[in-house]
Parts: sequence; structure tokens; C-alpha cells
Amino acid sequence: MNQTANLDFSKLVMVLAPLFFIQFILLVIALVMLVRADATRGPKWMWALIIIFINIIGPVLFFVIGRRDRR
Amino acid sequence: MAIWLVLVRKEVVEALRSMKAVWLPLVFILLGAMQPITSYYMPEILKHAGNMPEGSIIQIPVPSAGEVLAQTLSQYGTLGLLIVALAFMGMISSEINSGTASFTLVKPVGRTSFFLSKWAAALLLVWLSFAAGFGASWYYTVLLIGAPDAGAVVQGFLLYGLWLSFVVTLTLLFSSLLRSPAGAAFASLGTAAVLAVASSLFPHAWQPGLLAGIAAEAVQAAANPKATAVVMITAAATALAAVLACLSMKRKALP
Repeated sequence: MNQTANLDFSKLVMVLAPLFFIQFILLVIALVMLVRADATRGPKWMWALIIIFINIIGPVLFFVIGRRDRR
Repeated sequence: MAIWLVLVRKEVVEALRSMKAVWLPLVFILLGAMQPITSYYMPEILKHAGNMPEGSIIQIPVPSAGEVLAQTLSQYGTLGLLIVALAFMGMISSEINSGTASFTLVKPVGRTSFFLSKWAAALLLVWLSFAAGFGASWYYTVLLIGAPDAGAVVQGFLLYGLWLSFVVTLTLLFSSLLRSPAGAAFASLGTAAVLAVASSLFPHAWQPGLLAGIAAEAVQAAANPKATAVVMITAAATALAAVLACLSMKRKALP
């Protein structure tokens, strides 16, 4: 089998670890902002589900359209 | 000038407080880093995911470093532009709607410097995010695929950054013209999409939409003879959009 990239599991983990870390930070920031927000567009539990289960896009959606209050 | 600097600082503080200055770079880093990783592991992904008949051999050449960076740029051309437009769609209109703008403009602050401070902060944030994201893409490309020509990468970065700046300026212009933030995002994305489509339909008409393609070529170390002219046109169009936004701010009746 001709393959240029052999699936070395530890290498894959090394490559993806920083990205998972960044995604995790994004998720935590979004959740903290959600808990501290006075008002959101739609129920908070819905946003919590969106943030946790849709990676990358979920937190972004919350940041751009989820928050209603301007401080 | 001094007032303008104070306003810019206010905008930067605002971006930090609303976490925009944190999540925008992070999302750009994720977008940028994904591309080299998926290109590198694509043969494996296909082997494991597809229900291929036994013994079928898939041969996909791993693309060159320059090609991967060009693919990263096209990733920024779709998802990146969408996120940028959504992030800045309400920068002016929602401040006007909520009355924050009237509150600021009661003080001896010109409307031009009000707009220019927002523009400067938006550009700063976008260039920072794009630098972080493209840097991440570059890093993973060197790690997994190979080292591209550094001069070509920097050139492509600058060219694409100008295209992003143009779209950000359009978003702010529409944000000052239209009352609804969603309308501003839609209008600026629509304009960018029309220009991008026009660049493939009419490759000889010189307009900002060509810039994304030129940047992708530059990353692969292929110089385009039209590059200088298109850069000048895009810079002029960006400046024009900023002037129009200033004028629309001046004529605006605040609530």
C-alpha cells in the first residue's frame, strides 16, 4: 500500500493536542460569558447545548448572535 | 488626534471586554491549522471512512506546501469572511440603536474620528487574528508537509490581508448605512461574493475581487503581473468606502 502519511497515533495526538486545547478555551470562554450574561436571545440552556455540542461554530454563534446586552 | 487615540483605546478595551479580541484570533487559528492537517491526513481519512471495495488503491499526492497555504486562504475566503462580517456587523449600527453612540457624541468628539477609531480597531483586530491564523497554518505546513518559500508566504499574507481589510471596511460602511446588523453582514458578504464571482467570470476586469486569487498565486510563488494595479485599486476602494462611511455618519440623525 502506497502511503505517504502513516497513521502514527501518538503523532496524531501531538499534532491535534494544541487544537483541542484552543477549542476547549473557546468553549470555556463562551460558557463563562453565557453564565454571566444578563439576557440572551433564547433560553440559556439552549445556548449551553449549542456551545458544548457544535464545536467551533457553536461558541462563535453565541458570541455573534447570542448576546443581547451591550454590557 | 489625541481624542482619536482615546477613542481607539476605548474600542480596544471594548473588544477585550466582549472577548472579541480573544475568540476571533482563536477561531482564525483553528481555521488555519485545520487545512494542513486535513491535507496531510487525507489519504488516511479516505481509507478509513470510505466503503471502498477490497484492495482498491487510492493515490492522492500530498499537496505542496504552497498549495496547502493557498487552500488555507480559500478557507478564509468562505468561513473567515463570514465570521469577520458577523463579528463587525453591529459595530456602528447597534451602538446607534442602543444610544451609546449618542452618549459618546455628546462630548466634543467629531463623527469622523468616531468612525475612524472604530475602523482602526476593527482593522487591528482582523490583522492580528489573520496573522495568528495564517501563522498557525504556516507552522503546521512546515511541520507536516514542508517549508514553503518565506518571501512568497509573507507576500501572500499581505495581499490577502488587504482583501480582508476591504471586506471589513465594507461591513463598517453598511453598518453605518443600515439599521439592522444582519443587513450589514448580508450586504457586505453579498458584495464580496459578487466581486469574487465576477473575478472568475471576467478575469480581465480589474477590481478588488481579483485580490484573493492573486494572493493564492503569490503564496505558491507565482507572480501575477496585475498584482500592483489590483492592490492600488483595492486600497483606493477601501479608502473610498471609509470616506463614504464618514459621510453617512455625518448625515445621520442620532436617536
